[in-house]
Amino acid sequence: MVLEDISIGYNTVLASEISARVHPGEVIAVLGPSGIGKTTLIRTIAGLVEPIDGDVELNVEKRGGLGYIPQKLGLVRHASVYHNVNLGARASLPVIKGGSEERKKRVNSALVALNIEEKTTEPVRRLSGGQLRRVATARALAQRPKLLLADEFLSELDHNTVDVVIDAVKELLDAGASIIMVEHHEENVELLATRVWLIEGEKLLDYSIEEWRNRVGEEE
Amino acid sequence: MRKPFIFVILSLLILAWMTLNNLVDDWGRLEGGWENLTTFVSESMWPPNWSVIEAQSYPVCEKDIEFFCSVGYLGMLETLKIAFVSTILGFIGALCLSSFAARNLMPMYIAIPFRLILAATRSLPSLIWAIIFVIVIGYGPLAGVLAMTFYTVGYLGKLQYETFEGMPSDALEVSKAMGLSHTTKFTSVVIPETGNHLLSQLMFMFEYNVRHGTVIGIVGAGGIGYYISTYLRFLQYDKVFALLIIIFVVVVLIDLLSLMVRSFVTDEGDVRKPTWLKEMMKLYQSRKASSEQ
Repeated sequence: MVLEDISIGYNTVLASEISARVHPGEVIAVLGPSGIGKTTLIRTIAGLVEPIDGDVELNVEKRGGLGYIPQKLGLVRHASVYHNVNLGARASLPVIKGGSEERKKRVNSALVALNIEEKTTEPVRRLSGGQLRRVATARALAQRPKLLLADEFLSELDHNTVDVVIDAVKELLDAGASIIMVEHHEENVELLATRVWLIEGEKLLDYSIEEWRNRVGEEE
Repeated sequence: MRKPFIFVILSLLILAWMTLNNLVDDWGRLEGGWENLTTFVSESMWPPNWSVIEAQSYPVCEKDIEFFCSVGYLGMLETLKIAFVSTILGFIGALCLSSFAARNLMPMYIAIPFRLILAATRSLPSLIWAIIFVIVIGYGPLAGVLAMTFYTVGYLGKLQYETFEGMPSDALEVSKAMGLSHTTKFTSVVIPETGNHLLSQLMFMFEYNVRHGTVIGIVGAGGIGYYISTYLRFLQYDKVFALLIIIFVVVVLIDLLSLMVRSFVTDEGDVRKPTWLKEMMKLYQSRKASSEQ
């Protein structure tokens, strides 16, 4: 994925002159204080907000190539866990092209990986916060996107659940996907990230994880 | 917060009063209105004439229970059939059109023409549609079905696209980012997410069509309205009143049915509430136990 000199924001520019590339297998943690434009950057990459300036080149398939886990998770509340996870599989394996067995296999393995196979028929609205995050991650896992955009998807999770989610995400990375995740917690950055994008003073600063650790070490 | 609210309500009331005052040329007409109403009800309508639930003199009733040959039953049944068919056909037609008319599902250049189609079907009241179809295909229930189907498409279509536009955007945004097709987005995200509202609107429309079945029957489009118009013509207001009571009972029953149907898709359904039957059984059992002691 390539960002070419883009400016992001709604009515006012939140950050400008953003140029960056994401290579397969990379995990980018987007950091910065609240309201600086992290979510706007993710939404711009997802194609939900037009960049004020510049181009976003995704280089992934239009159908199913991009996965997205927003802060509010974007689950269909009145549908079952299976239905929600199946939506991910349907994005990359449309019903019109057949492949129902493959879809079923993907959904079941995603449910098992996220440890929610017992909740398959449960309506999503009855689940706890942690379970909801696992369903959203299972949806992405069943989709197998080339690029996953995740907005604070590890927040409010206990340690055990974080481990389950991280293991599932690593499956995606092994399959050659890349991830851009908005994070607030330093320990989550250490768990997954290979690079850090810090939004500071309307600019995006790109660090390798080693450079980031050095910066944090110097600040401490 | 409260003061501006009260001010707005008062201003609206004053505006409504001024408009009404402008419309009414002679307030003196209200004089004696109540007396006229009580005379009309006591002399012409009361008591309701329940011969409408007895068998008609012609054709000869061949059923064991007379009620099934009565004007009240046959008329109401035909109205219910007309309302049922037109609500189902109208609901499906409206869903097809409204999925293209919602601005959060389609770009404006597609949404606007579909909104115009829905506005056009809605702008003619079902009574006018009924007159048109009675002219085109003649008297009878088919004219009623077509009239109410057309009106249902326009009316439900507007309610539906406004519901779609009001749904939370996050699930839609995810499906857009994932690249789901319009059909998948609509059938697998929008419909489950708005199911409660859609069902509520469907039941409301069915009830509306049952009530309006009486009106379109008057112009010859079948149903209980045909009998109401006949009795009105012969000034048999007591029979009209009995038929109106039957319609009221049916509307209340539909409302109860709607409540039951919607409980399957609302959060309310997650909480098990004791039913009156269970409560009565408990009471009966506790009394039985105490009497045995």
